[in-house]
Amino acid sequence: MKFLTTNFVRCAIKSCDGAVNSFPLKYSEIELVQEEQDFQPEFILGILPRLDWPAVLKVAADLGNTSLPSQLPELDISDPSNEILLKDLHTLLIETQLVQGKMICENCNHVYHIKDSIPNFLLPPHLAN
Amino acid sequence: MLPTPLTEDLDFEKVYEPAEDSFLLLDVFEKEKPWLESYKWSSDVPLVVEIGTGSGVVTTFVNQHIIPQGLFLATDLNPHCCNAVLNTHKSNIGKKGNLQVLQCDLTTPLKRNQVDVLIFNPPYVPSETVPEIADPDSEDWLDIALLGGPTGMDITQKVLDSLYDTLSRNGVAYILFCARNHPQKVMDNFKAKEAQRGNEWEIECVQHRKAGWEVLTVWRFIRR
Repeated sequence: MKFLTTNFVRCAIKSCDGAVNSFPLKYSEIELVQEEQDFQPEFILGILPRLDWPAVLKVAADLGNTSLPSQLPELDISDPSNEILLKDLHTLLIETQLVQGKMICENCNHVYHIKDSIPNFLLPPHLAN
Repeated sequence: MLPTPLTEDLDFEKVYEPAEDSFLLLDVFEKEKPWLESYKWSSDVPLVVEIGTGSGVVTTFVNQHIIPQGLFLATDLNPHCCNAVLNTHKSNIGKKGNLQVLQCDLTTPLKRNQVDVLIFNPPYVPSETVPEIADPDSEDWLDIALLGGPTGMDITQKVLDSLYDTLSRNGVAYILFCARNHPQKVMDNFKAKEAQRGNEWEIECVQHRKAGWEVLTVWRFIRR
């Protein structure tokens, strides 16, 4: 599971839909691996406007990274000084894989597991929608 | 004609093997390519989600040939499929493309109103009941990929009921039906229900084909 994916998923339980605490999930006991991917600056630039940046900061903090800017700066691909930040974001969002660990809903406390890089959001029958 | 992605080392007793319905979707996307290329998405990186991705041929094809700039999420209940999708994508696309796999039911862990393109080849075959989710060693995975209840619509109807909340504004869904689902009737009901909620749609049948004893259609839903 790429770091990027944490920005798109919330608790799968229907009663948590819309609850403020159901997104982002809390990431705990996470094992990380860096997996090399092609650097595509246009992709990073294109994805940034659709990210919930406070959620990026919160998940990064769960994983022990508190070095991100609190506000996302304006980025321009033609400005070479932006390349370092874009590469850093590529490393974080695309290359950082959450391989094992837990994802916890802070609304209902349900615990989901990540195994071999695949997050499992299947629910037991009594919680399924 | 665009090449079909290759699938390697898949266990077709646990993962649905690409068949006429899968290939029909590939043809749909090949035909839709110019339209999709000129479509104005709400983001430079559209989010493409395929539900019940199976072997991963459709998602891989769309990422490779149709929407290379997209972010792809593949969902499947079946853990064997989750691995299959990653393998199929990697062996055809390598380190390009951006695909993630979620093991889940339909789109339940996705935040609302963020999907720009939704693809669904549902379990559309009429059957008495819909099988329960199996344990990983089960031999029922292929039934889960196929069987959809009395008119084959049990699972598809769930997706239709939440489609407006799943898609982004101007988001597009491609959903496959067989004739025994009575797609025209399904569309009429869908339109009536959505109109009551004040939701606007443009719906069109974009593909129609007789495949063996089945008549398959693919419908395009644009959320306005």
